[in-house]
Amino acid sequence: MADKITKGATFQAQEVVDKYRAIYYAGASGDFNPIHIDPEFGKMVGLGGVILHGLCALGFVAKSVTDWTGDPGKLKKLRCRFATPVHIEDTITVAGEVLDVSGGRAVLNLKVTRHNGDEVEKNVTAEVEV
Amino acid sequence: MAIDTKFIGKTWPEISYDVCKEKIREYAKAIKNPDPHFVDEAFAKKSKYGRIIAPPTFCVVFGGALMEPIFFDNELNLNLMMLVHGEQEFEFFEVVKDRDTITSTAKITDIVNKEKLDVLTIEALSKNQHGRNVCRGIYTFVVRK
Repeated sequence: MADKITKGATFQAQEVVDKYRAIYYAGASGDFNPIHIDPEFGKMVGLGGVILHGLCALGFVAKSVTDWTGDPGKLKKLRCRFATPVHIEDTITVAGEVLDVSGGRAVLNLKVTRHNGDEVEKNVTAEVEV
Repeated sequence: MAIDTKFIGKTWPEISYDVCKEKIREYAKAIKNPDPHFVDEAFAKKSKYGRIIAPPTFCVVFGGALMEPIFFDNELNLNLMMLVHGEQEFEFFEVVKDRDTITSTAKITDIVNKEKLDVLTIEALSKNQHGRNVCRGIYTFVVRK
């Protein structure tokens, strides 16, 4: 947890996409699109199997921020562009950096990559209350 | 076929959602986030929120419920086989708590026809039982032609 949120502060978090993650997420979110739960369908549409819901990966990003702030209510904005599908057994790394602190808000830049270095989400930014 | 830009501004009926701690726990488990604010009732009672709260991105549960009637709208006629989630933006206001009732509305705010794809932007706004905003979600979908 961050002691004090200041410009230039950094943090990092990691999550492994275990075999059944997309199934858990489908159940919890209600998004049962077959590309997330049916490997045969995923292969048929050229994805090479199931892909994780982009919003689940974004949930991992939100967790990295709220774990760091220690108070989930402090996250005020979060945005991203989904760049590359996340596959089962990928390891996702989130690296956050505070770009600026002003007016009671800190602006964060987040780099979200998988183990082979691909940026799975781009233009990832967040704002937290300080 | 391109998505007709005449649908910019189209809205769908509001959807009401009753938040409960068990669903919050289920969602927190799915995103591998066992923060005690979401899952530990004794901790949550002593926290500044006074009860279990939802992770910020829990808004996809009540916001996601808004997307289904849009995806299956006969008039809009989206090609779901070619649809991917392009971008996502959330603005969080008041924290969502166990036993809140959330009312959400959706509106198409933009449609852009490009040569090989269409870009569809939907804004979802959710309020709690006090009429105060809890989340604004901007969902951007790309539909390949």
